[in-house]
Amino acid sequence: MQDRNMPKADFVAAIGLTLFGLAVLVRSFEMPRFESLGVNPYSVPGIVPGLLGVIFMILGLILLLRSVNKKGYKLGLDATAVKAYLLDDSTKRFLISLFLCVVYGIFVLRRLAYPIATGLFVFFFIFIFEFRPRKSMASQKRTVLTALLEAVLVSGGVTLVFRYLFLVDLP
Amino acid sequence: MIEGIVRFGNALLTFLNPWDLFNVLWSTQLGIIVGMLPGLTATMGVALMTTLTYKMAPENAVLILMCMYIGAIYGGSRSAILLNIPGTPANAATCLDGHPLAMQGKAGEAIGLATTGSFLGSLFGILMLAFFTPLIGTIALKFESFEFFWLCVFGIIICGNLTAPKDPLKGWIAGFFGLFIAMIGMEGMHAYARFSFGSVEISGGIALIPSMVGVFGFSEILMIMKQPKLELIDSRIDRVFPQISDLLRYWRTILRSGVIGTIIGAIPGVGEDIAAWVSYDFARRSSKEKEKFGKGSKEGLLAAETGNNACVPGAMIPVLSLAVPGSAPAAVLLAAMFIHGVRPGPLIMIEFPDFIYQVVAMTLLATVAMFILGLSMVRLLVKVLTIPREKMMPFVFVLCTIGSYAISSRMFDVYVMVVFGIIGYYMRVMEYPVAPTVLGIILGDLLDKNLRRALVLTDGAIIPFFTRPISLVLILFIVLTIVGRMKSFRRGVSVAGKELKGIFRRRSY
Repeated sequence: MQDRNMPKADFVAAIGLTLFGLAVLVRSFEMPRFESLGVNPYSVPGIVPGLLGVIFMILGLILLLRSVNKKGYKLGLDATAVKAYLLDDSTKRFLISLFLCVVYGIFVLRRLAYPIATGLFVFFFIFIFEFRPRKSMASQKRTVLTALLEAVLVSGGVTLVFRYLFLVDLP
Repeated sequence: MIEGIVRFGNALLTFLNPWDLFNVLWSTQLGIIVGMLPGLTATMGVALMTTLTYKMAPENAVLILMCMYIGAIYGGSRSAILLNIPGTPANAATCLDGHPLAMQGKAGEAIGLATTGSFLGSLFGILMLAFFTPLIGTIALKFESFEFFWLCVFGIIICGNLTAPKDPLKGWIAGFFGLFIAMIGMEGMHAYARFSFGSVEISGGIALIPSMVGVFGFSEILMIMKQPKLELIDSRIDRVFPQISDLLRYWRTILRSGVIGTIIGAIPGVGEDIAAWVSYDFARRSSKEKEKFGKGSKEGLLAAETGNNACVPGAMIPVLSLAVPGSAPAAVLLAAMFIHGVRPGPLIMIEFPDFIYQVVAMTLLATVAMFILGLSMVRLLVKVLTIPREKMMPFVFVLCTIGSYAISSRMFDVYVMVVFGIIGYYMRVMEYPVAPTVLGIILGDLLDKNLRRALVLTDGAIIPFFTRPISLVLILFIVLTIVGRMKSFRRGVSVAGKELKGIFRRRSY
């Protein structure tokens, strides 16, 4: 992140952290004290979370004061800046990687058999990043074949090693 | 002393069999490759290897993990020298002089110096590990709940302070966030599930390995994929063996970096990257060839690589004696030891007295293997760096996923890894260090139990927390760490220093 944007990010994070600390404090007060069981009041579960809630609020407020001093409250969000960020090459690469990994890890893995899910993930990851739509398909046969080969090798290899060597019950 | 040497000798002899030596060789080589590849860190390598070794006998598993750890910290120097991209964060300082040396056509020499520096650093750290662990272990036997509570606070504060040199506040926030993560799930005194919101999965708590694989592995994948393409420089690799004259000329730097690396390793949560930077900085300040630093200084390269590898055995000192990790990979090693039924901590000298010396022997074997493998097959291994990230990263993510899943066979752990990966990514982008968070996750349970136990013992009185000698020392360190970063305090110290100088000068007239 660029240094000039850091106070803005800190301003938003500080508000989030202070509110988070408050929520943790409130939740820790709501935790049971087991009075009916004769539990020592200094051993109740809410003590440390409550203390952490207070610490978060203090640290959040310090961060807030500092970011306000650096004029971090002037967020200055406009459509052009957001558009430029989204069209940036590195943002695109980040978002595509995040999307592929989340879809594989959270959704596909529990719905498809492990080797198929893994093979599809590896293939699409390589294919999406290496395939150039402007070039002809014929000139990119090698890219597709390499992606396919790596997908088969990775999914087959990991499945065999974990299922038969480490005896893991795969997802 | 003699007893220690005998125990170390026995431990070393038990590992000198073909099967263990084979394990040492392949795991160190794999560690070097993992370290070489930008995006695969030592922490991630050790975490993934934990999942691959959890069915082995404890000694074999820990041996393989130690080899992976030492190999990876060393291996990162290759990409630092050849790509100007540190293979692991520990090798960031190596780039400064390693890459310029490679640009001058001395890549082989740079690799040789890095290997020798790493070897000597590790050897020095091993000596310190063997000497100080039993000593600290004996002191740790005097620790009670009060001291453990302050130790945890000290760990978070110093780790936050050193891993976020630009802004310690962010380091402390990251550390306390880690402590909060450790609060999630069933607590140890009354079995109450905190912050679980009725979920059975969350009430089991956030496991260390998936969260670490997330913040160090998945977030690294996202960072690597975001960066522009890396270019491998075309440098001839000829002579790899370093010149003895270079080593003799810089013996002071090597020794100093060894001491710095080991001490920084022993500080909770502060890892190899800081050790390398501090060693490098000290070397530059005391060098007679200051002008060469950053332009291909052999002394700078030696300082960085000696410092980061000396940190590895140093980081094992608090792991074994206090069950507090000295670095992020050491945190995974600690978790792996618990998985294998070995309980490091103050009672280790009573429960597993031989284990300390076994770890010393393992570290020595890994160091020797690293030195031999580091000086051989250099040209062949450099080819690994030509693998494009688009082909490497999906494989790494598959390993992150299966590694998180394999230990408990729970899909929930995969979700934890993904969520922590995203959190870790944004923490990095916003300049919050992730190491204090991991330390917080580890220390959370210890802090929670010991604070409550101490409060029960004192019936809620706080005074006893401040009156015990070891507690007082820890409190003093905590206060100095916090106020030491305040501008007004530093200004005050500088004014006081000038006044003192003035007084002495006046007296000498």
